[in-house]
This record gives sequence, structure tokens and C-alpha cells, in this order.
Amino acid sequence: MRIEDVKVCVLYIEGTNCEEESYWSFKRLGASSEKVHLKQLIGSDVNEDEKRNLLDYDIVMIPGGFSSGDYVRAGAILGARVKSSLVIELVEFGKEGRPILGICNGFQVLVELGLLPAFNGFMSPVPQVALATNDSAKYECRPSLLKHENHGNCVFTKNLPKEKVILVPVAHTEGKFVLPQSKEQEMLRKMEEMDMIVFKYVDPEGNYAGYPWNPNGSLENIAGICNAEGNIFGMMPHPERVFYQYQHPDWTRKSARKDGDGKVIFESVLEYVTKTF
Amino acid sequence: MRQLFHSRNLSFELFDVDILSATDEELQGVSDDAGLALSTDEMKMIRSYFETNGRNPTDVELQSLGQAWSEHCCYKSSMVFLREYLTSIDSDAVIDRGDAGIVEFDEDHAYALRIESHNHPSAVEPYGGAATGIGGIIRDVLCMGAQPVALIDPLHFGPLDLRYRDLPPGVKHPRYLMGGVVSGIRDYGNRLGIPTVSGAVIFDEGYIGNIVINVGCVGIAKKKNLTKNRVKTENDVLILVGGRTGRDGIHGVTFASVELTEDMEEQWRGGAVQLGDPILKEPLIHACLEAAERGLLNGMKDLGGGGLSCVVGEMALAGGFGAEVELEKVPLKEEGLAPWEMWVSESQERMMLAVAPENVEKILHIFKLYDVLATPVAKVIKDKIVRVKYHGEVVLELDLEFLTAGPEYCRDYATDFESMKQSEAVPDEPEDYHKAILDVIASPNIASKEWVIRQYDHEVRGSTVLKPLQGKIGLACHGDAVVLKPLESSNRCLAVTTSSTPHYTAIDPYLGGASAVDEMCRNLVSVGASPHSFSNCLNFGNPEKSDRLGAFRETVRGIGETAMALGLPTPSGNVSFYNETSFAPVKPTPVLLGVGIVDDLAKCVTTDFKMEGSSILLIGETKEELGGSEYYSLNGAYSSTVPSVDLNTLKSGMKGILTSIDDGLLLSCHDISHGGLAVAVAEMCLGGSVGAELDLTGIPNLRFDHKLFSESNTRWLVEVDSGNEDRVLSRFGDIWVRRMGTVTSDTLSIKDNGSSIEIPLDDVREAWTNTLYNLLGGGA
Repeated sequence: MRIEDVKVCVLYIEGTNCEEESYWSFKRLGASSEKVHLKQLIGSDVNEDEKRNLLDYDIVMIPGGFSSGDYVRAGAILGARVKSSLVIELVEFGKEGRPILGICNGFQVLVELGLLPAFNGFMSPVPQVALATNDSAKYECRPSLLKHENHGNCVFTKNLPKEKVILVPVAHTEGKFVLPQSKEQEMLRKMEEMDMIVFKYVDPEGNYAGYPWNPNGSLENIAGICNAEGNIFGMMPHPERVFYQYQHPDWTRKSARKDGDGKVIFESVLEYVTKTF
Repeated sequence: MRQLFHSRNLSFELFDVDILSATDEELQGVSDDAGLALSTDEMKMIRSYFETNGRNPTDVELQSLGQAWSEHCCYKSSMVFLREYLTSIDSDAVIDRGDAGIVEFDEDHAYALRIESHNHPSAVEPYGGAATGIGGIIRDVLCMGAQPVALIDPLHFGPLDLRYRDLPPGVKHPRYLMGGVVSGIRDYGNRLGIPTVSGAVIFDEGYIGNIVINVGCVGIAKKKNLTKNRVKTENDVLILVGGRTGRDGIHGVTFASVELTEDMEEQWRGGAVQLGDPILKEPLIHACLEAAERGLLNGMKDLGGGGLSCVVGEMALAGGFGAEVELEKVPLKEEGLAPWEMWVSESQERMMLAVAPENVEKILHIFKLYDVLATPVAKVIKDKIVRVKYHGEVVLELDLEFLTAGPEYCRDYATDFESMKQSEAVPDEPEDYHKAILDVIASPNIASKEWVIRQYDHEVRGSTVLKPLQGKIGLACHGDAVVLKPLESSNRCLAVTTSSTPHYTAIDPYLGGASAVDEMCRNLVSVGASPHSFSNCLNFGNPEKSDRLGAFRETVRGIGETAMALGLPTPSGNVSFYNETSFAPVKPTPVLLGVGIVDDLAKCVTTDFKMEGSSILLIGETKEELGGSEYYSLNGAYSSTVPSVDLNTLKSGMKGILTSIDDGLLLSCHDISHGGLAVAVAEMCLGGSVGAELDLTGIPNLRFDHKLFSESNTRWLVEVDSGNEDRVLSRFGDIWVRRMGTVTSDTLSIKDNGSSIEIPLDDVREAWTNTLYNLLGGGA
């Protein structure tokens, strides 16, 4: 399909707050991007012309923010709301291979929904991993360096060479990727076998380093993962905040006139969709 | 005085207050008992109004007057000076002076700006006080029809290492207060998704009893969506949107209009501090902006100080009308509120919309989608009165011109500050310069503010083009200003900075005020932005004391005369008086929020040195002006000679820096401010992770330590390619300029007349980095 026909649903509710820059990240590349309130998909309190059907879209993105305030556990409330109202459509959407992206709070929502990592089947009934409170016990807004670890499974990083390091900022309190201790090694092995690990935090020399380069204390420095099928992807750092070079924290040491490191994520998935569907 | 309160026989609480027969003493008693914070003379003015009307007021009416006539709402002690020096600065770029100032950005867009204080609430309940401060300033920008795009928070606390036994009774420890305030700003601002990009943290013993917490916001709007803070037609319906009304925040403005006392904790328990809810505010912003975008609003104003009692009257009168309110329609948090409580409650997250009748349904639909309450509560009437009914009973009926005019005073002020000055105490030259430099760099006022900055989301919305920390990633250092790119389709940007100069103002209020403008302008031009407008928040002591008011007047004059000479308008501002306890007033604290325009973001310059081998130039004359300096304050020294401002020097200095940046000649640029030359060069080295070799011998007639630490205004350090020196130096006319040295690899080395200091960059970084973490904890 043509890029202008690719319909992107940028899903938001109260407290989602990265929908604007997320919307633009697709729009700038020529896709038909739209900010859609959850209630438009559910059909409550909306007029006919405001109703939307999830299955009319080609890509769903759940952006960053603090959906419903994240007062329970980050992503838990939006996860529950989607689960109770939209889960059938969302699973159908994903099973057809259509891409779903969760950034930061969106990643937390995908984990809460059981769509990531989803070891057994397409969606696990309970979360299998957790994005726990940062080791620093604080909100961390800082640049992070991500090494691309995926071997080609993830449709969001197909245009990014393996082992390439990109600069993408993080901004979260709950981003420490952890697995249940009793199954940690087994699950890690499985994730590697199924090519589910996408990004790991590194330092400027490319080493898997500790704080602050691993800003939250994530297990194995994991910053982003995809499902076994490669079409559902979540990451804590914010690629939509580095679409252009001039959004990088150190661009005055280089140039303002180049692409930012996050753009490749959106380019990759759009190219995948235009070629596949 | 309760014997003067006569209850009406109704199903709810309503009193007629017999002030007509009251003695002067009883009048003051009524004011005190009802928490009105009005003086006897003001109560007499109220009595004579009701005498003319031939009846006594209700408690609702007295409460309403207490709010409207508070210092916080009507600027009764400050207006005379603001008018003379600040609001009179005119500019064609200013579009509106409402709850926020509106200034032209480009042909189709305008930006909004405002800064205000939230000192008293934050002093008693730092988390909630600071959070609701953010909430309030965002509503001020929002009600102009503007999307908030940046938050700015200059904070002033007592020393973090204060011994507990030195803490006055009833006062909370600075460490507790700072932790609470930063958390409050973080949790509210981050949840809203408005980046907190700029600020300052200043520590001084003067803030032990009364912290100074200022909150600023900048927004952007299409000109066509700009909204006025008024009703438009006689048919307008007033729709209350957002949060429910409760007992929180009752008497917030009157609380802010008296000195803090030991029992302030009690007042908080009584509800003087509001409760914030960012997750109600976030969709409220969406809904209000959508209503503005669709052209459905005739007017909009936020409910802040004084709640409904202020917003209804002010909106109606600004439109040339009156209003009639049905108070029982106001959605409540709990049952049993008396009418006066509903009328003056400052519960958060509320806005008032003025809407034409045909648009009411459309508005209600928008707010329903966002799950935000919207309730028509009042209608516009032709007569300029506000009438409030509660279940059919008229509980308030006042002439708007009487209610909202408020008194205005020209109180006595004293401007003889000689008595404030101490005798000069110039320190001996340090024996150990290495230590002297590291001590200044490690002092809490100078050291890294990363502990604070990284807890705030400073890049949500993706428009923060220059960040608060600048330089190599992981090694970045303080910048002078941040730059925001507010529009998708344009590279035109807004630069934002703050300045706060209590250390100078405490010694010389006029020069302190002038210095605040100088520093603000230096910061803005350092990144390549032309200063365009500013907002001001003036934090002072009790204006009924002539020395406090004199300091206020002189500071305002210093700000105003400097800004006037530069043609810089200040279309919004806030005065916060009564920042004192029985121990002492705060240092006079003028805080400016400066906005500049960057034509093309690609030309922006940061503070970090870029390249070994390039040349370092010093722009501007270094004088023996160490009064109020960090160096003197750390060493217990004193001078009454604070940095002065020369308007011509400032103008040509700014022009020289801006044209150099425009021609792409500056690799980095940093203004010299608190801590002096030594701190400025150290920060440039830290951000670039390089060293520098300077020779200060060329600076005439000063001791080495004075060269290093003088805080003379209108100075910059700039880095240029070797060979480009003259192209830059020639732009500054009569201003003293000189090549000072070279960017090197890993050592900060400074020479002067045979003396020399060498400090490895690692040592500089260690001194600079750890101070706040050591005092506040944290890091992993």
C-alpha cells in the first residue's frame, strides 16, 4: 500500500501526554496519522462522526505519559480499560500482523495487557514481566544510548543495522525491566532464542554499563523488547523526541540539519507496512 | 464578634452581619473573626457602602470583599509603582495584558507568558503548594487560549545544612521543603506533559522562615484562538468547567496577604492550601483548547485566588456587564458547604467559560468526551452588579465597580538604604587559590542542579531544542537559556530564561533590579536570542513597613528603567508581599522570566567549549564589584559595591554577541554571573569535557581573586576559532574586550601576573557534581 494510505491510530486518554509528538512522527513521513481517544474506539459519549473502529487502522501506537495518572502502577489503569473494552479488536489487529508500538507508558500498557513479551500464545492472561521503579527511586529525564540487538525479527527496527548505537532520551520513574526471579534465566534464554530483545542500554564506549547509562537498573540493560512475531514492540526511551538532530541534547556540537536517531523506528515500520499490506 | 452575626432562618448557613451599628473596634473584630484580613479603614469603607444601601451585608458579601480587596487580588500597595515603572513600558508587540501577557511571535501566532509566586502555601505544605502553583500558572496561560509549552521554576530556600537547633519555631527544615517542592513540581508538571525547562535554586539564610517559590509558564497560540478574560455579550452563559468545589483553598489569598506566623500549620489544616489533580487538568487543557480552536468561546478565565467570587465579577465587569449566579448548581466535592465557602473556595482545576447560548451544547459535548465536568452556573445581566442566589435566596448583591475596584494606597516608603549597609570587610587574598576556586564551584548556589533538573521532564512535547543541561552527553553543564521550537512548520524559536538577584537587591535595591534585567538579557543573547519581553514576580516583605516598601519601589524602578531603555515590555507580572515572619523579611527578591526570539534554531549556541585550540575571549569590563557575590558570602566578607549597569554598554554588548552568533562566529558563549569569571570558564570546560588556559594579566587594576570572582554585569566568555578573534572583538565598540586564552585538553589553568593555578578537570567536576546529591541524597 502507499504510505499516504497507511492509517496510524495514536491512542490517548487523560494523562497520555506524548500524543502530539507521536502523531507528528508518523505524519512527517507521509502516513495518515490520527490522535484517537479511547472513547472514540469504544463509542461512549461520542457522536456518530467521532466514532472510530480500531480495525480500520494499520498501525496502533500507545504513546508516553501518565495515563489516568499512573497512581496504581504505571500503565495498569489504561491496560485494564483496554482489556475490558477493546481487547477482542486489539488481539485481532495484532494477530493479523499489524504493528503495535508502545513507547514508555505505552510499553508499560503493553506489558500490563500481556501483549509483551507474551511467551505462550499471543497474549498472556497476566503480566509476565514488570517495569519496576527505577533503582534511583526517582524520575530520570536524561539521554540514553541504545544498542540495537535484534536480528531482524522486530518490524520497527528493520532499517537499523545490528549493533548500531542510537541516542534516545528516557523520561520515567518506572522503567526497570525485571523478570520473575525463579524464571529469569529461562525467560532470558527464550527471549534471545525468539529474537525478542531489541535494545539494550550502553555507555558511550558501547559497553553494557550501570547507572546512569542504564538509567533504571534494568535486567541485562534491556530497554526495549518485541513479541515473538516481531509486530508488537515496546521501549522505555522516547524515539519521537529525537526525530530531528536538533532535538538531540548535544546537537550544537554537530549540526542541526540531519535526521535524529529516533526517526528510523517510524521509517522502518512504515516501510514494513507499505511492503507487506 | 459573633454577636454581630445574625443567622437567617434557612435550611443552610447564612448570616446578616450587623456592621451598621458596629464600633470601629468591632469592625476590626469582624474582619479578624471572619478571616477577611481587611483593615479597620477598609471595613469602614464597606460600612459606608452598606449605609448608602440601607442594609447590612451578608457573610457571603463580606467574604467576597475580603477576597477582592486582598493585596493578592487588587495590588493595593504596589499598583502605584507598577504603573509608574513597569506596566507603562509600551511595545507594539504586546497584544494583550490579561491573566498572562500575550506577545506577537510571528504573523499568525502569539506567545503567552506569566510568572507568579506560591510562597506561603509551599512554606506550609511544600508538595501540594508547589504542585498547585504549577496548576495555577498553567491556567493563567490556558485562559488566554494558549497551549502551555514550558514551565519555569525559580526556587529559594534556606541553607540545606541548617542545624535543626537553629530552626525557628513553626518553620520546616529547608531540606524537607526543597524535597517537597521539587517533588510537587515534578509530579504535577510531568503528569501534565508540559516540560519544566528552566529555573534556579538559590540558597540563603534569608529564606529560612519564608521560602520563595515562583512558577512561570510560557504558551503558544494561533492569534485567531486568543481568548479574552471577559464576557462578550449580554446573552453569554457562564459555564464552570473542571474540578468540583470543596473546602480546600479557602482563604488562600488572604493567607497570602499577611505575614506567616508560627501557627501557619493550623491554617493549612483549615484548608488554606488547595489540592491539585493533574489528571483532571490534562484533559481540561485539551477541552479548553479544542473549544478555542473551534471558535466556541466568547471569553475564558481561570479560577485562582478568590475562586468564583473573583472570576465572575471580573469577567462580567471587563465585558461591561453584570452576572447572576445560581450557586446551587456548582458541583461540590462534599455536601454541607455554606454559600460563602462555595463562593470563595479556591479548589483547583477549574475554569470559567463565557459562551454564546447557541454554543452551550457543543461545549458540553466536548467536555463530556474528555470526562471533564461542565456546568452552566451563571448568566450575564445588563446591570453592572453581581447577584448570587442559593436555592432562590439572594445571598449576595454587590455593585461590581465597588466590589472589584478595591482600595489603592500610596503607602509611606523609605529609600534611605545607607543604614542597611554594613562596613566594608574585604577579605585577604587567599593563600590557596586552588581551594578558593573549588569552594566556590562546590557551593550550593553554584554547584550542579542536576539533582533537580533530571527529575523534571524537560523534553516532553519534543520541542526543547536547547536543554537546561548543555554539552557532551553524560557530562553536560548548566546552560544560560533553553530554546523551544513551538511550531511544527517553522524554525523560529522561543528562548526562555530566568534571573533572580536577591543578593544584590538586599544591598542596593535599585541596582539589584537593574542587574536582574541585565542578567536576563545576557542569558538570552548567549544562546542567540533577541530579548523580546519578560514577566516579573516581585517577592518582598510587609509593604506596611516603609523600609520594605522602599526596597520594593527602588527595585521596581531599577527593573523598569533598564527595561524601558531596552524597549522590553513586561505584559504580565505578580507581586507577593508579606514574605516575612516575626524573625525577618526575605531578601527583596525580584524574579524575572525572560523570553527571547531566535529566528533560526540552527544558529543557536550553547555554553560548552567545543574544540581544543580555539580562542577564549572576555567581553566586558571586570570591576571591583563583589558586593553580594558568592565569593564574599562564602568567606564572610562584605562590600556594599554591587554590580552596576551601564545601559549603553548593555545595549552594545548584546548587539555584539547577537551579530557574532548570527554570523556563525561563536562556538560557545556563556554569560558571567554568580561566581564570576572562574565559575563561567569552569562550566564551559565541564560541558565540553575539555580544559582551558587563561591569562588574566590583561585585566587591569584588580587583585587576582577579584578578577576571578567579581560579578560585574554585562560580561560574557565566548569561544571562537583561532583566527576569528578580531572579527568578533571589533564588534563591541567602546566595551573592554580581550583575548584571554585557549581551550586545552583536561586542565583548568589560570594565570595572573606570575601567579598561577592548575586544577585537573576531574577535580572541578567532582566539586561541581556532588554537592546537592550529598545534601539531599539520591543517585543510584
